[in-house]
Amino acid sequence: MALETSPDAPAAVRTIANGIASWINQLGAVWVEGQLTDVSIGRGTTTVFGTLRDTDADISLRFTCNRRVFEAVDPPVTDGSRVVVNAKPNFFARRGTLALAVNEIRHVGIGELLARIERLKQLLAAEGLFAAYRKKKLPFLPHTIGLICGRDSAAERDVLENAKRRWPAVAFRIEYASVQGPAAAGEVMTALRKLDGDDSVEVIVIARGGGSLEDLLPFSDEGLIRAVSQAKTPIVSAIGHEPDSPLLDLVADLRASTPTDAAKRIVPDVREELDGVRQLRERGLRAITSWLDRETHALAAIRSRPSLAAPVTDLQRRSDEIAALIERNRRTLTHRLDRASDDITHRLASVRALSPKATLERGYSVLQLADGTAVREVTQVAAGDLLQARVTDGRFAVEVKSEENT
Amino acid sequence: MSADRPEISYEQAREELVEVVRKLEAGGTTLEESLALWERGEELAATCQHWLDGARERLAKAQAAHEEKPN
Repeated sequence: MALETSPDAPAAVRTIANGIASWINQLGAVWVEGQLTDVSIGRGTTTVFGTLRDTDADISLRFTCNRRVFEAVDPPVTDGSRVVVNAKPNFFARRGTLALAVNEIRHVGIGELLARIERLKQLLAAEGLFAAYRKKKLPFLPHTIGLICGRDSAAERDVLENAKRRWPAVAFRIEYASVQGPAAAGEVMTALRKLDGDDSVEVIVIARGGGSLEDLLPFSDEGLIRAVSQAKTPIVSAIGHEPDSPLLDLVADLRASTPTDAAKRIVPDVREELDGVRQLRERGLRAITSWLDRETHALAAIRSRPSLAAPVTDLQRRSDEIAALIERNRRTLTHRLDRASDDITHRLASVRALSPKATLERGYSVLQLADGTAVREVTQVAAGDLLQARVTDGRFAVEVKSEENT
Repeated sequence: MSADRPEISYEQAREELVEVVRKLEAGGTTLEESLALWERGEELAATCQHWLDGARERLAKAQAAHEEKPN
């Protein structure tokens, strides 16, 4: 149905609008899944208006629904409900708006939701998003703590109060975000981007009190999970929850069971830490002092060893040795002299014992020839020989008168 | 005995000192050797003492600083 138009022959708005309407109205009914938002039920009106929002992308479509159809859903659907609707695209020519005319609304079942979360979990796990090696270590004492929570929420109060009780000087930068409903995942991601971009923020806590599975759906949102896994700041998930934990718990670097628990996990207790430091300091001091004492004693012991303390003793020992040698030398010599002198005396006695002196004293005399030979036999002399007679006190000459053998 | 700036560590000095004393006590050295050993021993002992005194001084200073300004 080509329409010939030109500046001189423009088409009427109704022609175009009706054309679009008839084209769109040819589209058949489809099953669509989304999240209900901006639902308005006017008093006394028969039509419900609202927006059906894509669960992940920031895309939405207006919808209209017969009030009876809307209110027949059990349990009732409200803003934030995840639904599957049977709807036909409808162009309202009068206002030029497009809306889905909803014929039927069904809840996305809890079981179905869980199954989806499970499937998403498998997918992300297979990609390695939950792997232990990706977990970043939390700083011991963060400079500034980023906090994402609902405005005026109990979660905010719990985190702040508990953290400050433990470490009064702790600093927070808080970004508020809706923590349930269709906008939550997006707002949390925006807050996360801001805090992650702030270099002074060293850890980010995403906190929310407990809630139903549906309430907590934003915290299993694929977009949010990926954003958390890519954040360079360590992230703590602090979602109070029932048995089914949101996927945020798995991707976060630390999973706290509640906002209060998160405060305890991210901030050390100042008193406990100071105590620990004091104890360590004391132990260190004791250790170094006793080491010093021990070494000082050991050194003193070494220094007082005679070989070091009194080196004179070594010299003394040597000089004693010399003195002893001198003494020995002297003694040896004396001894020898004594012995020699004894020997002499002894020999003198022998000489004396052997000398004829005693015999002479008894009245004997010795006759000697001129050459000194003692006369023993007659044959030695002849008459007229001059002999020497030796007596005790001298000698005198005698003459041989005659010789005669006996 | 220049002990103002020890060039060997405390442990090295002490180990050598023990060895020197052991040799001195064992004897069997010449007088000249004994004298040299004794001098070395004195030097080593002074080095050790210097280390220990320095450590005590630093410890006392750190403690005083800590007590002046608690926390």
